[in-house]
Amino acid sequence: MAMDTGKMSNFLEMTGLVKTFTGATALQDVSLNVAKGEVVCLIGPSGCGKSTLLRTANWLTPADAGEVRLDGELVGTMPDQRSASKQAKGLNAVRARIGMVFQNFNVWPHLNVLENVVCPQMVVAKRSRNEAEKKALVALSEVGLEDKKSEWPDNLSGGQKQRLAIARVLAMDPDLMLLDEPTSALDPELVSGVLAVLKRLAEKNMTMIIVTHELGFASSVADRIVFLEGGHIIEQGPPDVILQSPATERLKLFLDKLNITAFQPKSD
Amino acid sequence: MSIDLSIFTNYGPQLLLGFWMTIKIVVAAIILGMPFGLVLALGRRSRFVFIRLLASSFIEIFRNTPFIIQVFMFFYVLPFYGLYLPAEYVGVVALAAFGSAYFAEVIRGGIDAVAKGQLESARATGMSDWQAMRYIVLPQTLPIILPAMTNQTLSLVKESAILSTITVGELTMAAITVQGETFRPFEAFIMVALLYWALNETLAIIMRRVERKVSKRSSGGSRAVPAVSAVKDG
Amino acid sequence: MKFDFIYTLDALPRLLEGSLVTLKLALLGFAFSVVLATLVTVARTASKSRILSIAVAVYISFIRGTPLLVQIFLVFYVLPIVGLNIGPVTAGILALTLNSAAFVIEILRGGLASVPKGQFEAARSLGLSGYALWVKVVLPQTFMSSIPPLVNEFTQLLKATALLSTITVVELMRVSQQIYSNNYHPIEVLTGAFVMYFLMCFAVSRGASWLESEFEVKRA
Ligand SMILES: Nc1ncnc2c1ncn2[C@@H]1O[C@H](COP(=O)(O)OP(=O)(O)O)[C@@H](O)[C@H]1O
Ligand SMILES: [Mg+2]
Repeated sequence: MAMDTGKMSNFLEMTGLVKTFTGATALQDVSLNVAKGEVVCLIGPSGCGKSTLLRTANWLTPADAGEVRLDGELVGTMPDQRSASKQAKGLNAVRARIGMVFQNFNVWPHLNVLENVVCPQMVVAKRSRNEAEKKALVALSEVGLEDKKSEWPDNLSGGQKQRLAIARVLAMDPDLMLLDEPTSALDPELVSGVLAVLKRLAEKNMTMIIVTHELGFASSVADRIVFLEGGHIIEQGPPDVILQSPATERLKLFLDKLNITAFQPKSD
Repeated sequence: MSIDLSIFTNYGPQLLLGFWMTIKIVVAAIILGMPFGLVLALGRRSRFVFIRLLASSFIEIFRNTPFIIQVFMFFYVLPFYGLYLPAEYVGVVALAAFGSAYFAEVIRGGIDAVAKGQLESARATGMSDWQAMRYIVLPQTLPIILPAMTNQTLSLVKESAILSTITVGELTMAAITVQGETFRPFEAFIMVALLYWALNETLAIIMRRVERKVSKRSSGGSRAVPAVSAVKDG
Repeated sequence: MKFDFIYTLDALPRLLEGSLVTLKLALLGFAFSVVLATLVTVARTASKSRILSIAVAVYISFIRGTPLLVQIFLVFYVLPIVGLNIGPVTAGILALTLNSAAFVIEILRGGLASVPKGQFEAARSLGLSGYALWVKVVLPQTFMSSIPPLVNEFTQLLKATALLSTITVVELMRVSQQIYSNNYHPIEVLTGAFVMYFLMCFAVSRGASWLESEFEVKRA
């Protein structure tokens, strides 16, 4: 939908990202641009660098080299000439526009459902309590949790926790959402509720990068699928092309494996 | 050996005055020492090497030397820098400094016990490191560290006895005075020992109640840092 | 007035001697307290006597609930009244022992709990009983798993010896007080003693955390 629209296709620009951990190279010169309103799904075998790529997008994992910009605004760059306090200020400001959803939810257990959504609005976006609560209720109803607003997170199911995490992000009016395997920690029967929420967001043209192993879901929401292996982008393109007629042997192998396991009864 | 009960009636008020001084000193030391302990704990994870080094040196130095020599150092060093304080104030400063090092370690243990994802998810919303600590991590730390903080507080009560060596008129000093006047050391020291014991047990019971309340209220209460092994006064 | 390092240097030989006394006191107190605590632990566990275990619980509560300084005064001033004329050094070691034993009993209780129940039964089925059961089977395992907290207790004791200066035991703290009451340079002298205490305690507690990590690796 938003492809090839010139400057627009560079809403999020990730350029020349390199990241090495002691003993493991997670990203080897990866560049990825995402357009406004685009949904990109990242797929690839475990350990190929998907999470790392996602986490460099909001500089939660600072890259060793390369640069990330959102809407032209610097998120992070290495090397960085700015003073440490300038870096921190700029980063916090731009992070407020990027929502992140984690595999293991990371809801805040000491705050009830409503307060989980209210807190960052007041602390980061400096909204009044009144405004923050109003926004929170809207976000909670978008994910179907409006009747749980005074519940404690520990009393929620995994799927509800993840939807709470999504609501917490939505209330901040993000320009971009990063989701790292949002359904892989969920029991099978809870997956669809979360995916439905994400689908609605995609229909509303939310810009998203989603790491996922749910190929059916990916093919239905993604504008583009990016296949990552060994810290490289191996192949990318529209879902039907990537999933039906992969160009590389490695992607073919990966899809075969995933399809085989997909048809096996879940053993663990 | 016969016990002279008249000492308890004759010198009771004097001992109670000392008891009151002990309580005041410990409360003051906690009011100063806990926030400073928090500063030290946060300093230990600062992004500036210098601050990290400063905080951990302070903590290690105060944890690895006897409190009595710390007290004497403060007693002589403060005037050396032109700070002439009454002995009680020197005592409060010394006790607060000593306590803060132990409080810092407890707080650090609590921060480490909060899952890493909590801090990360807070930072991801755009909170600064301090905001993430203040609103997300530290509130979860509180129920975790309460038992260990209680232990440290109880140990400060006991440590405060050492302030008698720089003539602070607290409970142990009162006992020393009474035994000097009466030559009845057993009555004097057993009396203050019982007072300390009672204070300790009372505080322990109160804090256990508070702990139960807090852990019931907070959903994160199932995790608890093992109480840092009790410190002997030294 | 300024800090004159020469006074620290001058005091150094005597401070070193004082450190040795401090180490000796700590080692003696520690050794006695481990022996005492072991006897109490075995007696309490083997006899299953309610009175004994209540007495031990009260003892531990008293020791942990009162300042060591007061305990030292009690031993030092009260024993002569009941006719036991022991000097300050003996009184000091006795006080340290009685104090430390309470903590060591607690440590050993933890260590004992980590000995699997099956060990008792296995030993009994082999015909081991009483003395042999404890000495050959239970105690070695109890001590093995108690080593890290015991080393930690030793550092506590090392620091606690400084309190014996108040009953005129000439250890490191008392030596430095003697020196500066002659040369009127307390800061320089105390700094020397302070550094020595730090080096001793830091070395031992570093050793303890090293041991602890070693043990965790082995247990894992
Ligand atoms: N914090 C870390 N410390 C050390 N190595 C890491 C860390 N995070 C990721 N890695 C390594 O980087 C590589 C890529 O990891 P990741 O991005 O998490 O992969 P994916 O999400 O695709 O499974 C892996 O080899 C992983 O072991
Ligand atoms: Mg991952």
